Amino acid sequence: MKDYRIVFEKKNNMKYISHLDLNRCMLRAVRRSGLPAWYTEGFHPHLYLMFPLALSLGIESICEVMDLRLTKEIPEQEILEKLNSALPNGLHAICVREPDKQTQDITSAEYSLELYAPEILDLHACWLEFFNQPEILTQKRTKKGMREINIKSCIQVEKISMKDNRLNLMLRLPAGNDGNINIGIVIDAFKNYAGKPILINYLCRTKIFCRNYEEFL
Amino acid sequence: MSKNKIEPFLLDVQKPSRYTGGEVGEIIKNKSKIDVRFAFCFPDIYDIGMSHLGMKILYSLTNQYENYWCERVFAPWVDMENIMRREHILLYALESGDPVKDFDFIGFTLQYEMSYTNILNMLDLAGVPVLQKDRGEQLAPLVIAGGPCACNPEPLADFFDLFILGEGEEVNLELLDLYKNMKDSGATRSEFLKKACQIEGIYVPSLYEVNYHEDGTVKEILPHENAPKIIKKRIIKNLNQCYYPEQIVIPFIEPIHDRISIEVLRGCIRGCRFCQAGFLYRPFREKSAELICQQGIALCKNSGYDELSLSSLSTSDHSQMEKILDNLLEYTEQEHVNLSLPSLRIDNFSKSVLEKITKIRKSGLTFAPEAGAQRLRNVINKNITEEEIFNTCQIAFAGGYTTVKLYFMMGLPTETDEDITGIAELAQKIVNLFYDMPERSKGKLQVSISTATFVPKPFTPFEFEPQATKEEILRKQKILKKAIKSKKIKISTHVSEVSQMEAVLARGDRRLCAVIYDAWKSGCHMDSWDEFFDAQKWHEAFRKNNLSPEFYANRTRNYDEIMPWSHLDYFISRKFLIHENQKAHQEQITKSCREYCAGCGANQSLGRACF
Ligand code: SF4
Repeated sequence: MKDYRIVFEKKNNMKYISHLDLNRCMLRAVRRSGLPAWYTEGFHPHLYLMFPLALSLGIESICEVMDLRLTKEIPEQEILEKLNSALPNGLHAICVREPDKQTQDITSAEYSLELYAPEILDLHACWLEFFNQPEILTQKRTKKGMREINIKSCIQVEKISMKDNRLNLMLRLPAGNDGNINIGIVIDAFKNYAGKPILINYLCRTKIFCRNYEEFL
Repeated sequence: MSKNKIEPFLLDVQKPSRYTGGEVGEIIKNKSKIDVRFAFCFPDIYDIGMSHLGMKILYSLTNQYENYWCERVFAPWVDMENIMRREHILLYALESGDPVKDFDFIGFTLQYEMSYTNILNMLDLAGVPVLQKDRGEQLAPLVIAGGPCACNPEPLADFFDLFILGEGEEVNLELLDLYKNMKDSGATRSEFLKKACQIEGIYVPSLYEVNYHEDGTVKEILPHENAPKIIKKRIIKNLNQCYYPEQIVIPFIEPIHDRISIEVLRGCIRGCRFCQAGFLYRPFREKSAELICQQGIALCKNSGYDELSLSSLSTSDHSQMEKILDNLLEYTEQEHVNLSLPSLRIDNFSKSVLEKITKIRKSGLTFAPEAGAQRLRNVINKNITEEEIFNTCQIAFAGGYTTVKLYFMMGLPTETDEDITGIAELAQKIVNLFYDMPERSKGKLQVSISTATFVPKPFTPFEFEPQATKEEILRKQKILKKAIKSKKIKISTHVSEVSQMEAVLARGDRRLCAVIYDAWKSGCHMDSWDEFFDAQKWHEAFRKNNLSPEFYANRTRNYDEIMPWSHLDYFISRKFLIHENQKAHQEQITKSCREYCAGCGANQSLGRACF
């Protein structure tokens, strides 16, 4: 048997598929693809699929990861072709990688987003004001219920620009086992601060990183 | 395209993929090459509708034809409905995203009575006049319906252009063909309906006049404009030559039944007197073992599903069940597919079949004795004996089963309090049996009892019977709860107010159209969801129209009363129903069709003896 790390896109309407639904969808796609999937032993054998990093509803991605175990070695090109022929529009396998890095090593993820606020003249300035607050407080759901946290130190702005009244941001946020900040709560905190409607034109996960800024893929 | 307008709100609702389409198996066509567009509407939410087998069959069948395009429409959940109303977004079909009002046909499936207000609501959300008479002379859209509840469509008569009686595989296409021809020649709605009513199986309610006696019962049903006096249901004579899909639409979210269903047979040989499906879908017809296996395997392969269910009213009545199981198990075990058999009867649960099933699923054992005492089981013609139940339990317990589910009805004709305590006794005996078995498994036993209120339905021998009142049911539920002594027995009961409304609508007449309309106007919808059912509003709608639910639900009908559905012929003769009703009161059973033909009349539809 052999493990493969599949990198895939989740775009358009597929951003409305929850993580659980994605899992079921992929199981069926693998079964339809005709790839020799490996099954667990036991009374209820199941196909081995693993998603190291869940993606929240409403976010597109060009760097989703799925680990798949096959009973034998299959050329990467064949895996891609078979899988893609079975996937719905919006899900697309881009490449196959060696599963060399451990999923526990994931530390952060990068997002690219475009925001638009019809009632705010200078959204760029508004963001800077928001971001330069001494503290950025927001509610986060934890096991013990809602908790107020300061996310200021979590947000890393990699790029910022304005074009045609639209604010383009590239942000890096903690991800993985050691702590996860959902991009959604950052946007919500910004919306709260601005006090006026802010629309999301585009929101996409673009990269996943390990320790030392090394890319996961 | 309405679907585009919904996009900004998709993250504000639960399970947004209910509204996006784009599933694997979805059929997209080029609009410009389509002659007839059909919006197949399921009057409940996506999660429920997407489990419905009939929709899958008719969707694929219609789309086999290049110039016809069938798309899916479901009722939005309340969160989305609010947004659609607020933002003036019209109800749309999932495939194209186009508004339903622009389709040629808007076709509803009538699966249960409590979905009726959803139909009105969906038409309203679509921007289509709810009342047929307000739709004018323009041909499209035609609002039509089929499905089991079309056997008494009278409470919906004012809302629909036509109903399809019986199985749709042939008649739907005949209707679409006629439509295409008449559309090309510029026909009006009424011209079309006059022609359509001549197709066997098509009922156009606006061509019939119903008059009533002073006591509220039906006096006469008069056809106009040459419409047939009697409308016969349609059946497919040979299931082996009948279309069955090779691929289905695979939802992203989990529908209530998330699996492949293969229909193994239609009809039922049993003749349980309370069971409408058992009579409506007669005569009994099997699909061949080869075809069942072939279709099941093809669907598993094409869909990637890992659960395959053999579906019918009584799957174990298939004469080649063992062969089917053998052949399918060979495939399913190898391909890691779960085989499930949802409607098994226990009386012919042979040991070898049971062993095969034990291999399939270890979770639970389900029986529907329907009545607690043998006397009452004879009345309803549910031919299961205690002995058979215990035998099966014994085999199953030895095989490792530890949960037993028992389904019963309450308020059955002739039911006494002893029959009710009999339910508890039966459950207790199963508990005792388990603990008396040395070879039982170590797990904890759980016996759960679920009771539903009996609803008398048209085309059954109990169509004459009154439904028990809510007070009576509550009293009986108390008796039952008191009679249960063991902690191993759990009981769940059904809200009887919904059952009363179900009984009203099931046997209602045309005057109920106004009641349904008013109930919906006052806010009733999603009535099959406990949290939405509002008995108060329904009762108000009755008062407003000077009608009483009791007249419909709790009244005994004479054998010679004209029923609101008397002009519809499901090949079950009145004479047979009366005879069966009398036998019920004499506690006499009727044998299964395979042993003895009781002469119900269904063989006429085949033009030969059933067996
Ligand atoms: S005609 Fe006879 S065998 Fe056929 S369904 Fe009716 S009772 Fe059964």
